[in-house]
Amino acid sequence: MFDLFRIALRGLLHRKKRSWLTIIGVLIGITAVVALISLGISMQLAVERSFEDLGYDVMMIFPGEVGGGFGGPTSLTASFEIDLDALSRVEGVGEIGLISYQSVYVKADGNEGFLDALGVSGNIFDFFKLEVEGRRFGPDERDAVVLGSEVAKELGLGVGDILEIEGHPFTVVGIYSAEDRLNVRGESILMPLAAMRELLGIKGVSMVLVRARPGYDVGEVAKRVEEFLYKSRGRRDLSVQTMEEIHEAVQRALGILRAFLGGIAGISLLVGGIGVMNTMYTAVLERTREIGVMKAVGARNSQILLIFLLESGLMGLVGGALGTVIGALLNVVAVIAARASLGAKVLEFGIPWWLVVGALGFSFLVGCLAGLLPARSAAKLDPVEALRYE
Amino acid sequence: MKDGVIVALEGVWKVYRMGRRRRIEVQALRGVDLEVARGEFLAVMGPSGSGKSTLLHLMGCLDRPTEGRVLFEGEDIARLRPAALARIRNRKVGFVFQSFNLSPNLSALENVELPMVFAGVPRRERLRRARELLSRVGLSERERHLPSELSGGEQQRVAIARALANSPELLLADEPTGNLDSETGKGILSLISEANREGVAVVVVTHDPEVAACAGRHLRIRDGRIVEVTDV
Ligand SMILES: Nc1ncnc2c1ncn2[C@@H]1O[C@H](COP(=O)(O)OP(=O)(O)O)[C@@H](O)[C@H]1O
Ligand SMILES: [Mg+2]
Repeated sequence: MFDLFRIALRGLLHRKKRSWLTIIGVLIGITAVVALISLGISMQLAVERSFEDLGYDVMMIFPGEVGGGFGGPTSLTASFEIDLDALSRVEGVGEIGLISYQSVYVKADGNEGFLDALGVSGNIFDFFKLEVEGRRFGPDERDAVVLGSEVAKELGLGVGDILEIEGHPFTVVGIYSAEDRLNVRGESILMPLAAMRELLGIKGVSMVLVRARPGYDVGEVAKRVEEFLYKSRGRRDLSVQTMEEIHEAVQRALGILRAFLGGIAGISLLVGGIGVMNTMYTAVLERTREIGVMKAVGARNSQILLIFLLESGLMGLVGGALGTVIGALLNVVAVIAARASLGAKVLEFGIPWWLVVGALGFSFLVGCLAGLLPARSAAKLDPVEALRYE
Repeated sequence: MKDGVIVALEGVWKVYRMGRRRRIEVQALRGVDLEVARGEFLAVMGPSGSGKSTLLHLMGCLDRPTEGRVLFEGEDIARLRPAALARIRNRKVGFVFQSFNLSPNLSALENVELPMVFAGVPRRERLRRARELLSRVGLSERERHLPSELSGGEQQRVAIARALANSPELLLADEPTGNLDSETGKGILSLISEANREGVAVVVVTHDPEVAACAGRHLRIRDGRIVEVTDV
């Protein structure tokens, strides 16, 4: 077996240029497969991480129907009012966090313009596990804000500095790093919800976060909350989604994306496989006479088959190994580039061992499959005809 | 079956069909009866296209007759499965061709190893035997060379070493000196004779009187029929 392998290897080395060109075909296919699958994994890991941050015992209440697909809020700036006392009395409802998304006019250090701001209840820091440099603002504070590090950098502000929001002075008491966080973007200004309401003359919120009490099933609590909302409001104008449901919806979307990317990659791999098949047919034709001689000196059909299968499998494997390395490098580049440009850990490195092993095995398999028909035609050659072949 | 016979042909016909719908018939052999004794040296002569190569292929179990029987060591090869025929070719028969037919991407040594690879001989044993054979044909210095780096005579020496690798009972040579000048041809002939002296039965197709002179028996063939057999 090993010796047949050596013969196969010699066959490959004998026509170096053609072997390499064929291998490049496989390489491109496997590169695409590895790069795209690992990109999918990168996104999934990043999403999973951000969900873990928020915790699976949390549900969101936001206006509008839940659309299909991504399952996020339909409009972040639409406000609604809700009876919080009654909500907190629903069985299983624990901590309640409030968020109001608004655009505010900001003046700081000669810069001015509209920026996104989040009016939040004090416990939002815990909901999102935000690490704040400096300090958070207390529930009754009116003129304190916490800035995302990006915003702080842009405005040239540090802890203790003053900025003007809607003509009212606020002190920066803390800066949070949005790194690691998908759900609270780095550009946000966090201010006490009460202060925002006063400033803008609004009453409602954009989103309510509810944590289920320990020991309660989030799904069931969510159902009760839904029921409560319907009863108290008389219509279903608010959606309740547990993180698990959102997570599932995101997973579904990512799954479709992955299958789509995988399909594209698969096509390029198919082309690579056809390249191998073509090269192997040519090799069999070219070596017809040699095959005849090998049979004359006693090669069994199965041994001829194996030689050519190993030859094509080897091309697949070499292409696969190089393609895996390049695909993995592409993943690293993509992750680094995404982090650099988006300023947050929006992607995780996505090259698990099973992807490497799978890609290698798969490329060898593709090589063997592509070589199967040519190898069979070699094995079936009539030795006398083959010896007469010019 | 006679003990001293290695291969026997009984009323053998070989008909090739070719062309579109295989309508054209070529009768390469037309009723051949022949016995090759162990250890004998048989020279086969005849004009081009008379069926000499076909005869050799049948004796070497590379092909099956259209009609009649080929008995290799008493066994009807028509009844043997392809793997069994391959085994006979591997262990009992050695082929030498006019155009050398070495594997172009294998070194001289590896070419000699080839039949032993197919026989599953362990590597160490194989190398020892291949080196011994190469030294016997005077090519010890060339074991790493590819066929393209060897002269015609040297290539044919490698081919003889390859044919003898598994110590066959029968050496079949199809115009082995046909592509060589007469000086080089003599060297090849002496290697074949040497193998014969050591007990290997030899059947050699040739136009060369010098080759024929070494043989113990001459066989003349024309249009697929044996027309003359002479003991020398
Ligand atoms: N595989 C084959 N297919 C068709 N015709 C063949 C085949 N092998 C030999 N022949 C024909 O059979 C005849 C005898 O061929 P061959 O045995 O090679 O003759 P020789 O070796 O005496 O020159 C020739 O006419 C040749 O063309
Ligand atoms: Mg001939």
